[in-house]
Amino acid sequence: MYKISDNILSPLGVTTKENLRAVLDGRSELIRHEHIWSMPEPFCASMFTGGQSESMQYSGCSRMESFAIRSIYAALEGASFEYKGLNVVLILSSAKGNVELLREGDDEANCYRLGASARRIADVLGFANEPVVVSNACISGVSALHLARLLLDSGRFRYAVVCGVDVQSAFVVSGFQSLKATSASPCRPFDICRSGLNLGEAAATMVLAGDDVVGGEGSGSWHIGRTSVHNDAFHLTSPSKNADGAYAALSDVLDGIGTDELGFVNLHGTATMFNDQMEAVALRRAGLASLPANGLKGYYGHTMGAAGILETVLSMAAADEGLLPGTLGFAELGVSVPLNITSDARHVDKPAFVKMISGFGGVNAALFASKGKWRGRRAAGPSVKMSKPSAGQKLKVEHTVRIEPGKVLVDDRLMALPDEETHSFLTAIYRKYVGDYPKFYKMDLLAKLGFLASELLLQAEGGERFSVRSDRAVLLFNRLGSFHADKAYMKTISNPDNYFPSPSLFIYTLPNIVTGEIAIRNLYQGETSFYILAERDEPLMEQIVGATLEEPQIQSVIYGWVEAEDETHFCVDIKLVRLGQ
Amino acid sequence: MEDLILELKQEIIAALNLEEMSPEDIDADAPLFGDGLGLDSIDALEIIVLLEKKYGIKLSNASEGKAIFTSIRAIAEYVSQNRKK
Repeated sequence: MYKISDNILSPLGVTTKENLRAVLDGRSELIRHEHIWSMPEPFCASMFTGGQSESMQYSGCSRMESFAIRSIYAALEGASFEYKGLNVVLILSSAKGNVELLREGDDEANCYRLGASARRIADVLGFANEPVVVSNACISGVSALHLARLLLDSGRFRYAVVCGVDVQSAFVVSGFQSLKATSASPCRPFDICRSGLNLGEAAATMVLAGDDVVGGEGSGSWHIGRTSVHNDAFHLTSPSKNADGAYAALSDVLDGIGTDELGFVNLHGTATMFNDQMEAVALRRAGLASLPANGLKGYYGHTMGAAGILETVLSMAAADEGLLPGTLGFAELGVSVPLNITSDARHVDKPAFVKMISGFGGVNAALFASKGKWRGRRAAGPSVKMSKPSAGQKLKVEHTVRIEPGKVLVDDRLMALPDEETHSFLTAIYRKYVGDYPKFYKMDLLAKLGFLASELLLQAEGGERFSVRSDRAVLLFNRLGSFHADKAYMKTISNPDNYFPSPSLFIYTLPNIVTGEIAIRNLYQGETSFYILAERDEPLMEQIVGATLEEPQIQSVIYGWVEAEDETHFCVDIKLVRLGQ
Repeated sequence: MEDLILELKQEIIAALNLEEMSPEDIDADAPLFGDGLGLDSIDALEIIVLLEKKYGIKLSNASEGKAIFTSIRAIAEYVSQNRKK
């Protein structure tokens, strides 16, 4: 797919150009904050000022929604097609959306549901189709570009507008603090003195068109020919020591492309001990350790759902000027692999690069971008790897599981219920049908639901389990995101006299964690993604699953709807599918 | 000390949702991580929160915690020497 236009909206500027200038000038809005939001611990973040937020506010929209609308509007100014048409998909990427609006005791998720936000944004802008929200923790931005590529390459849409956005609040900052992942001073990616990440606010948008729409060489536009998402299947918060998922994603996007054909690597570079070390291992395994590489968190902090898009757009804009920005905060290498991290901006002569990103839930993603469609020693794009005859094939459902209060159905057959009343319904189901995975007790309601349903689904499938595989994706959808976990975590921070943010509760406020739990249990190292919709929409879900199954390395998908409102209102409805006649 | 060990076992079972365990199942001298109780890094962070909430002990980073959390007895000794409430 080709990038038609873009925008970056951040505390450093409201256009891509302003942002590029600021970054090349070495500017950053990372500021130490003390005594705001009644938080006892100081933190360092890049945030819009009150005045900036107010000046960009749309009536009837939240801060987060307003930033997204501004950014999308600005990006669309550079596009000449009719974006209100039926062949355009709007994809929003956000880890925590409007969670700053959540108050203790809220039982109505409408004010901040991400699906409702996306629909509001789509309505203000006049998009015709139902938007999709990708909420895949910190990789959401590249995940959203991955989804756009799947939907455009498969011909399901002709254009995609992909916007990543996140804002900061006591909720998010305290959560990362509870994980001991933050630094109260400006972050230092890949540096020996790095001590954690900073958070940031931003919105970034890319307007994209399918290869067929643009045709030919794309008139020198940036082309994203390959994207890939892989799970480590290792741990919810610690990356794999061998960088399994990140390496697999790199391998996918670089298949057949020589290191000497790449200009640089744009790293995730959060400045946590674990992330940066893991990326170094991934680069070594992929043979990329000697390439010039940079990270942009020293300018923006970690902008979560915006990061993957913002950093890709900025890398493209800098490469257009023949430059690779320096890594602000980096001075002396502090990882075990000798890397070629840029401390100052340097010249790049090859307009082709890889973007890497990783996040909680074990997720990793990468994309390969080149100026013009790649015409290296081997052409990039789906034509190279698309050996699977998928045209005209439909989803073939192999097994189904549905769990709701008081009812369990496997392949439409009612299952015997546990004859005990000591435990909750889901725990009793676990004890009767699974029983050998005590981590179940640590999961939140959403993860328990997804985990139990996947266990029953895989028992119905039979055959060998628990050996590493990458040919199966786990794609889950819902409407409420992690609402139940959000409320539980909120209770640990809302009383200043009893302020003890819980790391184990915070983790589950990332809805994709349920897909990570399934991947870890089953050693699934293929794609795992979590999508939020305004309402359950089977045709749209099937479009996404179908496009994913057309990826050559994916043979089967576990997908479905998993909704956890509270202990008595929940539903999970999942399927194991392949492509078939 | 034995009372504190029992109390810590109960608190840890509750805080970490070790649902199917009782205090008798936990050997006060066994390792908490890896082969012992099988706890992980998120559990270690949750124990840090527990120590602050219950005993007023503040640990600034996770590696400090790992050095102390070798066994329930080791935590009990640390708590008895450093507790503020």
